[in-house]
Amino acid sequence: MKTKVILLAAMLMGCFGAARAQGIMGGHVTGNIQLDGQMSREDTVIGADDVPEKLLMNARADILYTNGAFSAGLRFEMYQNPLLGFDPQYKGQGLANYFVAYNGERLSVTAGNFYDQFGSGMILRAYEDRYLGLDNALLGFNIQYRPVNGVVLKALAGKQRIYWGYGDGLVRGIDGEVSLNSVIKALNDSKFRMTLGAGFVSKYEADENIVFPDNPEYRLNLPLNVGAGAVRMDLGYGRWNLQAEYARKGQDPSIMNNYIYRPGEALMLNLTYSQRGFSANVQAKHVDNMSFKTVRSQTGEMLYINYIPAINKQHTYAFLSMYPYATQVAGENGVQADLMYRIKKDTWLGGKYGTDIHLNGSVITGLDTSYIGGAGTDGYTASWTSFGELYYADISLEVARKLSKSVKLTATYAYQLFNPVVEGHASDLYHNHVVVADVSWKINKKHSLRFEGEWMGSDSRYDPAHGHTDRRAGDWIMGLVEWNIGTHWFVSASDQYAYNDGIGNYYNLSVGYTLGASRFQLGYGKQREGLLCIGGVCRQVPASNGLTFSLTTSF
Amino acid sequence: MKINRIFIVLTTAAMLLAGCDKIASDEYVQYDGAVITWSETSGSLEPVQCAYVEKYTGPRCTNCPSADVTLEQAHQQYGDRLVVVSVNYPTGQGVPFPGDPDMRTDGGNAWASYYEINTIPAALLNRNTATMYSGPMNNIIGDIGTALQATPALALQADASASGNEVHVSVSLQLQRDYSSPMTITAALVEDSLVYRQLLPDGSLDEQYAHNHMLRKVVTSFWGRDLPSPAASGSVHVGHFSFGAPEDVNLANSHVVIFVSDKASRRVINCTSAEID
Repeated sequence: MKTKVILLAAMLMGCFGAARAQGIMGGHVTGNIQLDGQMSREDTVIGADDVPEKLLMNARADILYTNGAFSAGLRFEMYQNPLLGFDPQYKGQGLANYFVAYNGERLSVTAGNFYDQFGSGMILRAYEDRYLGLDNALLGFNIQYRPVNGVVLKALAGKQRIYWGYGDGLVRGIDGEVSLNSVIKALNDSKFRMTLGAGFVSKYEADENIVFPDNPEYRLNLPLNVGAGAVRMDLGYGRWNLQAEYARKGQDPSIMNNYIYRPGEALMLNLTYSQRGFSANVQAKHVDNMSFKTVRSQTGEMLYINYIPAINKQHTYAFLSMYPYATQVAGENGVQADLMYRIKKDTWLGGKYGTDIHLNGSVITGLDTSYIGGAGTDGYTASWTSFGELYYADISLEVARKLSKSVKLTATYAYQLFNPVVEGHASDLYHNHVVVADVSWKINKKHSLRFEGEWMGSDSRYDPAHGHTDRRAGDWIMGLVEWNIGTHWFVSASDQYAYNDGIGNYYNLSVGYTLGASRFQLGYGKQREGLLCIGGVCRQVPASNGLTFSLTTSF
Repeated sequence: MKINRIFIVLTTAAMLLAGCDKIASDEYVQYDGAVITWSETSGSLEPVQCAYVEKYTGPRCTNCPSADVTLEQAHQQYGDRLVVVSVNYPTGQGVPFPGDPDMRTDGGNAWASYYEINTIPAALLNRNTATMYSGPMNNIIGDIGTALQATPALALQADASASGNEVHVSVSLQLQRDYSSPMTITAALVEDSLVYRQLLPDGSLDEQYAHNHMLRKVVTSFWGRDLPSPAASGSVHVGHFSFGAPEDVNLANSHVVIFVSDKASRRVINCTSAEID
C-alpha cells in the first residue's frame, strides 16, 4: 500500500512537473466523500444478529485532479468493519483506486485503475456499484483512439480488482464503433441512423489441477485463454430505433457452469418507438452459459468480466421490489414490453392536467435444455425456440395524474410471478398482487408532504416448521409519510407489517439535512433480510435493527 | 493516418495472438498419471520372482506396529525380493494426528475401497484376495516364502533417477512364457523413514515412530496402464516415464515400486523396486 501511495504521488508530481514545463500551471481538484455507518442489535423475530463491533462503517473519498487534457485521481476506502451484507473480505482501509489519464482530441490514455464497457457490456463491463459492494475496476492501460469523427477504437489490458487485491487472470480487449452518419457524408443529415460496433475480449488464467469428478485419475484440460466476441448495431429511422447485440464466448469451464465446455452466447434486441405523448419499447434476450470471469473458481458476483443487462422493469416501490429478479447468467430467455401514453389535458379522461399511463410486462424463463453430462463434457444442449421453467413474470399498470395544482396521485397495480429457484431455493412459484398509492402534496413553497400506501397479497407464507423460512413471505401493508421542509430538511416515517402468513413489523424513521453539496441522514428502524438488486446484479442484505447514518459531500 | 494503422495492426495482432484456446471434445479430460513410452529391444533379463505385499495401516491403529514388526522380519529373511507398500487407511484409524503429515492418497483410498478394507492392519499378498492378512499377520512370512518359489512368468527390472522433483523411471520387462491375458503395469512412489506419531499396542503414543514403505503417490493410473501386448516371450520391452513427486516427499528416502498385474483378476504377477538415484 505504501508503494502505491508513493507511486501515485510520483505520478501526480510528474503531472505537475509536465504542467509547469508547458506553462499550464493550475488545474482544479474535485471530489466527493461518503460515509455510511450502522449500528444493529439482535432481533430474533426478524433474524437480525448482534453486531459485536457495535458500529460498522463504510467510507470512501474520491479525489480528482484535472489540468487541461491531463487528469489524475485516487480513491481511499475504509471498511472498518464492513456494513452488514458487504463481504467481510472488504475489511480494511487503503488506496483502492488510482490513475493518471490523458484525454486529447484524438487519443485518450488511462494508466492505473479504470472502468469501461464494450457495447451493452455482454463481453466486457468494468464498473463499480458502491451499494452492491461491487468493484470490477481494471488495473492496467486503457487506450481510446478516435481517428475521425464517428469512429472510436479501444484497446485495454489489465487485472480485475477483488476486494483489496487483484484476480490472477488477465483481461485483454479491443473494441471498435463506427457511426455511419458521421463517416458517410451522404448520411450526415439522413433520417436513417446507423452505428455498428464489434469487440473482442480475451482472458488468460494459468492452468490448475481440477480433478475430473467421475474419475480422480483424470483432470480437466482447461483452456488458458478464453475469448468472447460481440457484434452490435444501432439502427434508427425517424421515431423508430432498433438495437441488437450478439455475443459469443469460447469454452470456459468454471465453477459457475460446473466446469462444462459448452460455448456461451447471448442475444439482446431492443425496439423502440416514440412520439410526443406515446412511447413503446419491446426487448428480448437469450442468454446461454455467459458467466465470464477472470478466475474460474470464483463464485458470487466478484470478478465478472461481463455484464448481462436486465430487461425487466427495475421497480422502486418497496413491495414491488421485494422480490427482485437476479439475472441468470447460466441461461435465461426473456421478453419485456413497455408502453407509455399521456392522455391529453382538458379531456374527460385526462383531467385538467393530463394523465400518464404506464403499462409494463415481462416474462423470463430458463432455457429448455437436454442434459449431456457434468464436468468435463459439453454439459447440455439448449433450444432457441422453446422455453424452460418460468423464473419471473410481472405486469404493472401505473397511472399518474395531477389532481390539482398542488396534489399529484400515482396509483400502481402489479401482478408478479416469482420463482425462488433464481435465488437458489427450490419452491413453488410465488403469486403476488401489489397495489400502491403515492400522493404528493406541495403545501406551499416551503413545505411538501408525500404519502405512500402499499399492499401486497401473496400466496407465499412464512412457516419455518415446514421449511418456509423466507421472511419476505406473506401478506403485507405499508404506510409512509415524508415531509420536506424547505431545501434543507426532510423527515420520514414508514412501517411495513406482515399481517397474514408472514412475520415482522419493520418501522423506520429518518431525518435528513442538506446544505449545499453536503447531506446528512440519520435513520432508525428495522431492515428486512432479502436481496438488493441493481440492474439484475444482487447482493444479500441481512436483517438489521438499529441506527444508520450517512454523510455525503462533494467539492 | 499512419498512427491509425499502427494502432489497429498492433491491437489486432495482440488479440489474435492472445485469442482463445479451443479444446477438442475428446480432450476435455486428460489422464493425470505418468505416460509410459515403450520400445522394443533384443536381449535377456534375469528372471527374479518377487512378492508384493500391500499393507493397510494408520497412525491411530494400535495393532499396526505389530504388523510392521512381522513384515520387517520378512524383509530380513527375503531381502529385496519382498516389496512392501504401506497404504494409509482413508478414515478412522487412518486419520492423522493434528499437525502430522497426511499420508492418505487418492490411489490408496481407491485401493482400500476396492478391496473393501474395513479394519486395519490388513494386507494382501500379490493382491490375492483369497487370503486377507490381519492382526500381527504372523502367517504371512511363510506364504511370502511360498510365493517366491514360483517360476517367474515375467522378468522385471527398473531404474529411477531424479532431477529436482521430477523422477525419471526406466522399466524393462520380458515374458518368460506365453501369457495370453492382458496385463497392466502400475508404478507407485514409496517413502521410508517418515517420523510422525503412532499409537502402539499398549495404547501409548510413540512421538518418533519411523514409518516405512509409505505410499505417497500412485504415479500411473490407480489400476495400472495396459502393457504393450508382450504376448510372446522373447523380446525385451523398455518403458520410460517421468512424474513429479509431491513437494513434501524426501526422494533420498524414496523408491519407485513397480508391479505387473493380470488385468482381469488384478493379481500381481511380478514386481520390483528401484531406489531413486
